[in-house]
Amino acid sequence: MSERANRIEIDKDAVRRDLMKLVLTIVELLRQLMERQAIRRVDQGDLTEQQEEDLGTSLMLLAEAMDELTEQFGLTADDLNLDLGPLGPLLPRDR
Amino acid sequence: MSDTLTYVYAVAREVDPAAVAGLEGLGGRPVRTVEHRGVTAVVSDADRAEFQERALEERLEDLEWLAATARAHHHVVDTLGRDHLVAPLGLATVYFDDERVRAVLDESAETFSAVLDRLAGRAEWGLKVYARKGSPAAAEAEAEKPKSGADYLRRRRKALREGDTTLEDARRAADEVDAAVSALAAAVKSHRLQDAQLSGQTDPMVLNQAYLLPVERVDELRAVVASYQDHPKVRVELTGPWVPYSFAAAATSSSGGSAP
Repeated sequence: MSERANRIEIDKDAVRRDLMKLVLTIVELLRQLMERQAIRRVDQGDLTEQQEEDLGTSLMLLAEAMDELTEQFGLTADDLNLDLGPLGPLLPRDR
Repeated sequence: MSDTLTYVYAVAREVDPAAVAGLEGLGGRPVRTVEHRGVTAVVSDADRAEFQERALEERLEDLEWLAATARAHHHVVDTLGRDHLVAPLGLATVYFDDERVRAVLDESAETFSAVLDRLAGRAEWGLKVYARKGSPAAAEAEAEKPKSGADYLRRRRKALREGDTTLEDARRAADEVDAAVSALAAAVKSHRLQDAQLSGQTDPMVLNQAYLLPVERVDELRAVVASYQDHPKVRVELTGPWVPYSFAAAATSSSGGSAP
């Protein structure tokens, strides 16, 4: 009986990890898009210095949080990339 | 009905049947020749059961079988290609029997001759160009923590820009190499760029070409490749000479290449 319970426990972990991987992949995609958009707006010069600083800080914290989360779930940046076949990878290979 | 089919490895010219004596093909079966109107098909028997249409479809999914077949196929083509003019056929080209092979040679004798003429005195060379990743100094600067939000954004912008320009520069350099080598080659064929995972390289591939090169221009080819040996943006990898797998197709495509 306990053996069986163990097995279910392991499966649960795998499911949790896979789900987390998927969620983190989507978050990472959004994060990279936001980062590029922020850089574009800074380039255009339509942000005040304070706005620039706030935006940069938020993105920096987000990047740190992403790193911590991926590490916590035993994932690497490469794991958060989906191979879209002929379209290539979802995210650039090196960010 | 016989239980074997005839598997064709390559089409060649002036092959002495003695030259294939002792050569082993698929499943260790002896290789022989079928000659007709000056063109020789290099063949061996193949199990009918293995190559029947339905069975073959399944087998092409079987990587182990595919690898063994490809090895046997390549062994025959490569051995013969060393001192003969050969046009290799695609993997798993099978005909009903020798009679059918002869009929195909009869029908397409001109096409085969034209292909062989094009390949005569030429060999295939493969050229792969990889982008060199950014310098280690840039990576070091990245390692220390940004002081402020604005600083973080500046760094990210720099990193993204560098990544883009590295690839762009590499592509430009690759185009130069390609142009230089294409000028030597009789024909050029572009292959799909291989993904980093497949090529086993961490650097992204920016060029994957095959060239049909006259034998006497090999030194020039090597000189071109050598001149890019220490290029800061790209790493150039030359392989060959190969049996001209990429140029054995009947279509006389000579895209980009200029005749010597």
